[in-house]
Amino acid sequence: MLAGDEGEAVREAIRFQVEVGRFFGAKRFVPITNVHVMGDIEVMGDGGFGFLKAVVLKGARCRVPTDSNARCMHFDERADCLRPDKGEEAKERQVVSMLRDMRVATTDTCINYQTVYQPKLGEHVAWGDTGTVIYANSVFGARTNYEGGFSSFAAALTGRTPAYGFHLDEARRGSIAVTLEATMRDVADWGALGRIVGHPNQDYFAVPVFEGVRSMPQSDELKHLGASLASYGSHAMYHVVGVTPEAPTAAAAFGGREVTSRITVTDADIEAAYRAYRFVPAEKNVVVFSGPQLSLFEMQRLAERFAGRQVAPGMHCFATTNHAIHSDAARLGYLKTLEDAGVTVLQGVCFYILQRLTEIRAENGWANLVSNSGKLVNTITAHRFNTVLRRTDECVEIACTGVLR
Amino acid sequence: MSREIRVVRAWGPVVEGEALVMKEGFSPRYDLNRVTGVITRIGQSCEGQSVKDKVLVIPTTKGGVAGGWAFFDLLAKGIAPKALVFGKLNPVMVQGAVLAGMPIAEGGVENGLLEIASGARVRLDPANARLVVL
Repeated sequence: MLAGDEGEAVREAIRFQVEVGRFFGAKRFVPITNVHVMGDIEVMGDGGFGFLKAVVLKGARCRVPTDSNARCMHFDERADCLRPDKGEEAKERQVVSMLRDMRVATTDTCINYQTVYQPKLGEHVAWGDTGTVIYANSVFGARTNYEGGFSSFAAALTGRTPAYGFHLDEARRGSIAVTLEATMRDVADWGALGRIVGHPNQDYFAVPVFEGVRSMPQSDELKHLGASLASYGSHAMYHVVGVTPEAPTAAAAFGGREVTSRITVTDADIEAAYRAYRFVPAEKNVVVFSGPQLSLFEMQRLAERFAGRQVAPGMHCFATTNHAIHSDAARLGYLKTLEDAGVTVLQGVCFYILQRLTEIRAENGWANLVSNSGKLVNTITAHRFNTVLRRTDECVEIACTGVLR
Repeated sequence: MSREIRVVRAWGPVVEGEALVMKEGFSPRYDLNRVTGVITRIGQSCEGQSVKDKVLVIPTTKGGVAGGWAFFDLLAKGIAPKALVFGKLNPVMVQGAVLAGMPIAEGGVENGLLEIASGARVRLDPANARLVVL
């Protein structure tokens, strides 16, 4: 590959991977079976757009099954208050076209682990979105690092990735001991837990181990925990003793690694996490269910909560999901219930990566952004929203009454 | 008098510039307006300051895969930092820095990395794993 026998695109990809691997002291590559790429015009900009164009012109083709992360535009004329730039919209359509030319299945989803591909215990993959990475490592016991930008594309072109970090046994052992005494009642509680643990322990190579979980967490709950840990702590893996596959016991989860931090999380800690988010007085606000995209069961539960209700004047309310779930939600009637209530459901996007979001916030006069996603209230802050984390029921109540509490 | 800080690992060519020192974890998506190059997260320790041509000194990372493309695009826009020096980093920062050809380093907190003052002139010498405060 380095000699260029497999084309210029592959040569550039492997050169890049060698440089990154050397930084982390990787001694070898590991073959991978699946790739999740992140490439949208908002994050790539003209620089990345030109780079990708050049790679495609050099004949780049994915040699393992590859899907795509959520897009930064909804291509939906009905959501006019989220209008992207026309010029950028044209580029985004070109990006989608280039991805397809490279043999990327453009699933446009940040929940590929719930709807597209579920790697097995010990399977090496190269996934390029933090929420997907932490879910793969923790819940499936698969093996991947964060593979951002060109890194995931390079893995798709070469079919391998440098063996460092979470591809190796030693990185996967627990280092933060968390005793969970709180009763977890909502996905937002799991996001709050991710903030409580992740924020004071920002370290990619730290691995929290949770003990004391009293009932079997659902996929959506583990999804919100992981997304939040990845967001606040930059973590790529966690263990839940008795739940996740590499943690049959606490001893197995820690694997003899030194514990650097011990935390006990109570009901009072979860409540304090919510209270730390304060509203600013404002007439126009937005409630968002996104980050990660909603699963089918999240769509079902949300439709049940909004049935027969209406989003209040002065409020906007959005939910985002992928194309597959959007289609099923339409078939099952969840979509109509939500739309009848005034909720705008966007497909193939995630809210915080929307192109032109700073301007969109200003044009709509939104001050507070309320969400049940611990991740979303952290990731969107460069756009100067005042973000507030609340439980799902409270978010629905705020959306339908306009009362900020 | 110059002061030398050993880092754990580094990549890229030698670079010299003015330090912009953050007090908290950083993500180009969470903290930075990537159109203007100005830190816009409310309450961030460097809020209102531009990263253009600065050597960013950052304790840790938050998130996030945006850095994989972001540094390359900041370079294309002419508003990129000169180098990135982290106390602790994640792979995305390295992946993004390598794509952009931007020098990057990790480590040195125990050697006083985070005591550097914003505005100080610094030289990063990746091959010798050292950061010199000039």
